Amino acid sequence: MTFLAPLFLLGLLAAAIPIAIHLIRREKPPKIVFSTLRFIKTTKKKLVLFQQIQQWLLLLLRSALICLLVFAFARPLFDTSIARMLDTEPESAVILLDVSLSMQYGENFNRAKQAVEDILAELSSGDEVALITFASSTVSAMELTTDITQLRARIDGLSGPGFDKVRFFPALRLANEMLESSRYENREIYLISDFQANGLDASEGEASESGWRLAPGIVFNGIDVGESQTRNLVLSDVRSPAQIVEDESQYDILARVRSTGSVHLQNAEVTLRMDGATLMRVPVDLRDTSEAVVTLPVNFERSGAHTGEIIVSGDEFTADNSWFFTIDVLPQIRVLVINGEPSLNWYDDESHWLVLALQGMGSTPFLVETVDAPRFNSNVLAQTDVVVLLNVDDLDNAAAAEISTYVQDGGTAFFAPGDRVSAERFNQQFGRVAPAELEQPLLLRQGISAGAGEYLVIADIDRRHPALRPLAMDWSARFEGIWSSAESTDAEVLMRFDNAMPALLERNIGEGKTMLFTSSLDLEWSNLPLQGLFVPFMHETLRYMVQPILKQRAYTIGEIIDMSLEVSAGSSTLAVRDVDGTARSLSAGSAFYSAQRPGVLQVGNEAAAYYAVNIDPQASVLTRVAPSTLHDRIINTDTTPQQSTQVRTAELIAELEQPQRLWWWIMILAVMLVLVEGYIANRTYR
Amino acid sequence: MAATNFLDPSVLSSLDNLELRARVVVEGFISGLHKSPHRGFSVEFNDYRHYYRGDDMRHVDWKLYARSDKFYVKQYEDETNVRCYIVLDASASMAYASAAMSKLEYGRTLASALAYFITRQRDAVGLITFDEKVKDYIPALCRQPHLIRILRVLSELKAGNKTDVTRPLADLASNLNRKSLVVLISDMLDDEVKIIKTLQQLRSMGNDVILFHVLDDAELLFPFNQSSEFIDSETQETFITSPAAIRSSYLENLNQYLSYCKKQCQSSGVDYCLLNTSQPLDAALASYMARRARSF
Repeated sequence: MTFLAPLFLLGLLAAAIPIAIHLIRREKPPKIVFSTLRFIKTTKKKLVLFQQIQQWLLLLLRSALICLLVFAFARPLFDTSIARMLDTEPESAVILLDVSLSMQYGENFNRAKQAVEDILAELSSGDEVALITFASSTVSAMELTTDITQLRARIDGLSGPGFDKVRFFPALRLANEMLESSRYENREIYLISDFQANGLDASEGEASESGWRLAPGIVFNGIDVGESQTRNLVLSDVRSPAQIVEDESQYDILARVRSTGSVHLQNAEVTLRMDGATLMRVPVDLRDTSEAVVTLPVNFERSGAHTGEIIVSGDEFTADNSWFFTIDVLPQIRVLVINGEPSLNWYDDESHWLVLALQGMGSTPFLVETVDAPRFNSNVLAQTDVVVLLNVDDLDNAAAAEISTYVQDGGTAFFAPGDRVSAERFNQQFGRVAPAELEQPLLLRQGISAGAGEYLVIADIDRRHPALRPLAMDWSARFEGIWSSAESTDAEVLMRFDNAMPALLERNIGEGKTMLFTSSLDLEWSNLPLQGLFVPFMHETLRYMVQPILKQRAYTIGEIIDMSLEVSAGSSTLAVRDVDGTARSLSAGSAFYSAQRPGVLQVGNEAAAYYAVNIDPQASVLTRVAPSTLHDRIINTDTTPQQSTQVRTAELIAELEQPQRLWWWIMILAVMLVLVEGYIANRTYR
Repeated sequence: MAATNFLDPSVLSSLDNLELRARVVVEGFISGLHKSPHRGFSVEFNDYRHYYRGDDMRHVDWKLYARSDKFYVKQYEDETNVRCYIVLDASASMAYASAAMSKLEYGRTLASALAYFITRQRDAVGLITFDEKVKDYIPALCRQPHLIRILRVLSELKAGNKTDVTRPLADLASNLNRKSLVVLISDMLDDEVKIIKTLQQLRSMGNDVILFHVLDDAELLFPFNQSSEFIDSETQETFITSPAAIRSSYLENLNQYLSYCKKQCQSSGVDYCLLNTSQPLDAALASYMARRARSF
């Protein structure tokens, strides 16, 4: 039984009025002095009893009359048929539950679970429902099922929101696919989220560009469980070097602090921790600006891997207050320059420009030692990271063999032949390790090569090469003399002149590496040393040859971390200590890992490497969007506008009430009661 | 004006003078009968007896004294043929009136009319009024001043307390030494079994007995509808009820009671006449006349 105007039921209190009148204003009957009571008192007892019953019946009738009138005005309706009619259309529903970082804010997740419970409570028996949890990735927690109990158990077992950012559209696509193959035609999606705006923006491209919308007939329900007012501070950006050399004794780390909640916070504090120790605390004033950049100077007293954490405090939401980073402090690179054409005059000295490029600045990662070719002693190779041979032709064969052996043992050598080099001799001494064999010099100014221009330029650069990636720009150096060469089969040409001849070649020999620049590094054949690119070219090239590949050490949550380079030779497993301290062992063949919490991953037990895993700053931006915005963006135009259960129920009630008209029958009954009441009242009191 | 109008209780109640009221009743009734009330009555000598001290000197036969020098007193036949005792109930219940005339007033009018009528017929009439005890006792005589005395007593009569009908009737029965007519005017709201038993006793002694059972119209019809608190006029006992609900039961009880009274009276030779105070008095007088004609 349901009522269309239930407020009228308050009128039931009026049913007490006749009783109250009966009890409070009980009128004394009139007195009649009669001759005798003998014939009155001897009347039948049942008549007296009937008389009392009549009075109570009258009272009952009057109260019942009021109740009937109240019921009539409340417009009663038997609703069992409503439930039946509502149940006639079983539903397939998919519940999308946001488990992104922002759902950790306040009571968002508890409200979300309650919303799920409310949805399940409204489902009718036979309805099928699925549960999908989503953040940046989407997990189908449970396929479409009619087992609500099992679904409730799954919801109770949810661990809670993670640290990922939110992306609506992958989850919506999955829900759409599930519903397209669902059992019932009545399909509905419930998206329970705090509706972070960037969740919509992040997926905007994939949705709007393709014009993706839900399938026709799928109804979308956005249930907003976010708080209207949020207070949050976030480290939106931290700039720290992944690698620095030991010589750079001090480095500034920059942290950008921002208030991202709906309520602007004016004060914050930033704390820097390195290797587990708190180094400094810096107050941040945000009164006049939405964000502030904090400079955090840090010194490194030893080389090796360092881990750091920057913490911002002063808000209510602490899940996104830390930023982790790693810094590898590398030792200086020891460079041995073998000068093939030394001179007292700097402008005639072959090594002048190279040494100037490597050491001509206040802070340099290079430690350069220069020797003339005749005085080269192979003993210094043990303390050398890279050997640079500049226009060298007068090395004895033993020294050359030592250098080749040095390379084959894992050393590195950089060749820059000039006019003094004999191709035959070079090929003989360094043919085993050099990237190419020299053929003949090409001197354009002297007209050696007929038909050639006056100079050559660099025309082709392998811009993907680690050494050349930072140098991906136009080279303006002019080359008037180069060596033509025949590259080795295992060599790779990194740069070519505009006549297609190799300019820079690389060859890996075991763990060793050699590079051949087919021109000299002085001003005799080119003006390269005078170009602005010369210094970075030499720095990047030599660092590339000596130092390992700069690995990515900073990741965001959910990203796949490739640790394959950390696997030791011959090892089948890789030990990883997760951010929460949990020890894990990865197979050497698939050394990939994805951290689900912010922190620092430690890889390997000895000489450990560290990987910093941070929250995507976008996940901390608590700006919200109305559910209707998402609804309008994804709802199919062919989908009939959704009516709420209340509206549908009201319509059904109105339809059902039309033939029922219970109030009409109640009014008839009330009129009959009035007649009966009048009849009894006449018999009783008059 | 029609004679019967004077017998209407509502008209009679407007007459304050009880003698006048009795005269109106009797004359109106008699004129309706078209019979002379003066016939068959005479004073006849019966015997002599010796004078005893204290005898009325008027009854001494002086002629016989002259002849015999002894005092002899004449003995006559009674001056009347009938000695009638009107026994009027003056209990509290008789004061009940739903209309203009109460039962007591009605009984008083009836009694006065009967006394007047009897006196005019040269019969002796006496009066006994009572409630729970005898209030007035006037022996039966046949003189005009005696009627005046009766009428005065009746006019001054007021309703008393409870009812005890048996007691005055028993007293009367013990004092009656010759055949009499006993007229009981009462509402009989006492122990009717005892009353009728006493009446039967009077009847068995050779007396003629007429019972004028006077009841009010409301008592006979119980026309009340509204729930009321009924108060017994004699015992002051109260009872709250809805008359409409119990009317049928009341009337059933009443009819049963009336039937008992009537049946018992008839079976024992007591003339029973139920009088409704809303009805004229002619029925009562006719009943008396019928009994008078049968007996004397």
